[in-house]
Amino acid sequence: MDTFFSTYGFLMVQMMLQALLGLSLYFPMMAGQLSLASPGFYALGGYIAAVISTKVVVTQGMYPFHLLLLEILLGAMASGVLALLVGIPALRLKGIYLALATIAFVEILRVVSLNLDITGGAVGIFGIPQPFANPLSYALLVLPLLILVAWFAARLERSRVGRAFTAIREDELAADAMGINPTYYKVLAFVIGAMVAGGIGAISAHFLNTWNARQGTFDAAINVLAYVLIGGSRTFWGAIVGGFALTALPEILRPLGDLRLIVNGLLLVIGAIYLPQGLIRPAWLAALGKRKVALVQPKGEL
Amino acid sequence: MKKQMYLPVAAVLLGIVAAQKTATPIPIGVSVAQTSNTALLGKEQVIGAQIAEEFYNGRGGINGTAFKLFFEDTGGDEAGAINAFQTQINKNRVVAIVGPTLSQQAFAADKIADAAKVPVIGPSNTARGIPQIGDFVARVSAPVAIVAPNSVRAALKINPSMKKAAVFYAQNDAFATSETGTFQETAKAQGLEVVTVQKFQTTDSDFTSQVSAALALKPDLAIVSGLAADGGNLVKQLRIAGYKGVIIGGNGLNTANMFPVCQQYCDGVLIAQAYAPTAPGALNAAFRTVYKNKYRKEPPQFTAQAFTAVQVIVEALRTLDKKSKVADMELADLRIKLNAQILIGKYNTPLGEITFDKEGEVQQKNFYVAQIKMNPDGKTGSFEFLK
Amino acid sequence: MELGTFIQSLLNGLSIGSVYAIFALGYTLIFSILGIINFAHGAVFTLGAYFTYFLIGGVNNGTGVLTNLGLPFGLPFVLATLLGSLLAGGVGVILDRMAFRPLRARGADPLLALVLSLGLALLLVNLAQYLIGAEILSFPSNVYGDWLPPAINFGSTENPIPVRGVQIIIFTVSMFVVVILTLLINRTKIGKALRAVAENATTANLLGISTERFILFTFFLSGFLGGLAGTLVATSFSISGPYFGVTYGLKGLAVIVLGGLGDIPGAVVGGLVIGLAEAFVPGDFSAYKEAVAFALLFVILLVRPQGLLGRKVIQKV
Repeated sequence: MDTFFSTYGFLMVQMMLQALLGLSLYFPMMAGQLSLASPGFYALGGYIAAVISTKVVVTQGMYPFHLLLLEILLGAMASGVLALLVGIPALRLKGIYLALATIAFVEILRVVSLNLDITGGAVGIFGIPQPFANPLSYALLVLPLLILVAWFAARLERSRVGRAFTAIREDELAADAMGINPTYYKVLAFVIGAMVAGGIGAISAHFLNTWNARQGTFDAAINVLAYVLIGGSRTFWGAIVGGFALTALPEILRPLGDLRLIVNGLLLVIGAIYLPQGLIRPAWLAALGKRKVALVQPKGEL
Repeated sequence: MKKQMYLPVAAVLLGIVAAQKTATPIPIGVSVAQTSNTALLGKEQVIGAQIAEEFYNGRGGINGTAFKLFFEDTGGDEAGAINAFQTQINKNRVVAIVGPTLSQQAFAADKIADAAKVPVIGPSNTARGIPQIGDFVARVSAPVAIVAPNSVRAALKINPSMKKAAVFYAQNDAFATSETGTFQETAKAQGLEVVTVQKFQTTDSDFTSQVSAALALKPDLAIVSGLAADGGNLVKQLRIAGYKGVIIGGNGLNTANMFPVCQQYCDGVLIAQAYAPTAPGALNAAFRTVYKNKYRKEPPQFTAQAFTAVQVIVEALRTLDKKSKVADMELADLRIKLNAQILIGKYNTPLGEITFDKEGEVQQKNFYVAQIKMNPDGKTGSFEFLK
Repeated sequence: MELGTFIQSLLNGLSIGSVYAIFALGYTLIFSILGIINFAHGAVFTLGAYFTYFLIGGVNNGTGVLTNLGLPFGLPFVLATLLGSLLAGGVGVILDRMAFRPLRARGADPLLALVLSLGLALLLVNLAQYLIGAEILSFPSNVYGDWLPPAINFGSTENPIPVRGVQIIIFTVSMFVVVILTLLINRTKIGKALRAVAENATTANLLGISTERFILFTFFLSGFLGGLAGTLVATSFSISGPYFGVTYGLKGLAVIVLGGLGDIPGAVVGGLVIGLAEAFVPGDFSAYKEAVAFALLFVILLVRPQGLLGRKVIQKV
């Protein structure tokens, strides 16, 4: 049993972090916005934490927890501000065009971080100090954070703001006619997602011991999108379950050796075909009687 | 039931490890990139480790006790490397780990092994700062600053009248970016003028703009730091564009994988090597024969270095075993003693004679500069020794 | 800017741009009909190059399961390219039949097709790696015959402006393909039906057009073009391993958006524009060359979301 926790402790926390990244993409999606910018903000948050903990503050031994919290806050704030700057012009775009603009944003950030001195170029920043004794202990921070963000998402779904998001997702013109300011709410959803991603990046930089330009890439963006779609894009549970499942899958398949990524791809294909609504459907949750969920069918945006 | 759940979690959180005996055959972990687009390098390492396993087990293993390699794929990313290392350390209960492939992955995963007090030998991590990750981290791959300058000196011997150097490097590759720094410093120290520094990505294949920008400045030396596919294409496109001067390839180009890419245009390229297939020594000859029989080409450097990494662990285990049977030792104890033994040993490897300094940095006796000679078929060739 | 430098940059831009363009043609074709981005296109591109390589009698010097194996015969290059591209088209057909069609039949969220294509790409790339290996495979340098010089000098002997022969072939073929495709779509019955399906699948069905057959044909055509493109690009640069085509996927996206999603001549224009933009990046900023395509993409999206050649309104699904 303790072998299990020591072997998979890292994986479990990684699953939670990826679920949080999935949620960061889910927030704009609540307002019908397909944004793939999360890895860009994730990378930014990570660089902020890495620079602070290796270049600004010099500590001996265990890295102070309050500094970590400060980094998370700074990562989230910086991402929020950047999201505001990028979001206001970019969110005029719809559907696939927004997705592509956000991918472009992620790639531009990647190339910039490869070229700056402070980000350490291709090698990146290494020797990032540890605020916890071992990987599993990160769960003490990450699990409450996951619960908090999930709770926030659940509250949001049922709040006035959440209903405005849904209205925009269903029909932006109608929402506008009803007096909902689409730009305001779209940017809001985008900024919330960016802040979550930036904060998660700050934790991940410590968690991975090192940070470099390979963390925020196009591939990462597509993977996070897959979490939400395989998990189910109509409830925040989808992002969490999808993040868990797709992060764990390559490790579960490890005994297959050379065949594991072939099977991984096959399972993605089968998942997409046979679970077109995703693993978690609002209808199931409603049937379970656990919570009320809007049973509207959002129309496809691609 | 609940108690059974919480106790192990608490134990792990507090870092309590129950005493475990070493398994037989003695488990040694190999975690390199067997998937992702880093796999081109990782696959070469797998082969080197497999040859070492067969070779040393065929010669009595650890003084009569066999050892077994556990391969756990890291993929190309940091999280994958950490997951693979965790599996090696806790599930396979290996005595030591060979890996990972990339320096960036090493910065992530080696820290985990170091915290668990498991010796790690990096077979291909060349970035600055790797042995300094921790006491349990060593490498057999010499850092760039040591390997690269030799080839610049060799180029000057071929053409002492050289004046202008054009430098090219893959900016998204950690190795190439640190290597190019060394190349530029060496070139300047040798009295050459660096007329241009052109950047590219390892995923690029078209270099026409870099080539024409550089050739406009009429250099008589071109220095390329990259990997096999991109480096090979760059060399080829330089020659096709009419460049006649000397070309130096960085260590990433030290592989026969480059031959099919630049074909006849590879001819004459100077390469700084940490491993030369034609280097003397009985062990290298044996290793080279095994490899050539199976794959019909010269063993690449990554394969030789992975072989060496396994060899170092095996020889250190043998020395320890002579003092007290390693199969009877407790795993945690063995890992600590093995690490100490690895660092003090002296090894006669396919790379030549190597030792480690107290931080775990490899001290390699011989480096080589080779010149590529292509065969008339334009697809195969060899690295010919200089000097 | 000096005239010589200008011409050199222009030719450089056209040469890399035509590689982007030829990759993007099959990519944008699927988008024009189905409104989905098919990430598996990069994998099909790679497979096409592998098929041709083995059909000309190439031996696998990779370390996969099929190490050191090859076909017992070798076809002439042109025939092998044709057959290899047909096989790649066959892969396209299989992908549609086994994966995309079942997904459509279930009326899934179109976004899910993206995840599906991602899974297919992962599957195909790793299958290729398992069977063939991660190693680099190369075509002989004289695969086009000895008449094609390695480089042609467009400048003087004093100030040479060399362009590689293979690049001229790629440029010519991509121009040729775009003309044929445009004729096919604008002048033939099949093209009319395809356009009808692209406009509105349900209406097309009502008009008696068998939508599924045309979608299948589109997948075949896209796979065929992908295989052809993969072969040509591989003769220029070699097959750098199973990820060979996938690395073009991202820039290919920029290309097809720039040209107007789903627009065939647009894909070529987009490819050339990005190639030229990259070629004209001043030397001091060469490190940022990689970001040029995306900066351009970002700006174009904000200013002209329908792309350079796109029609004003594009409503896809």
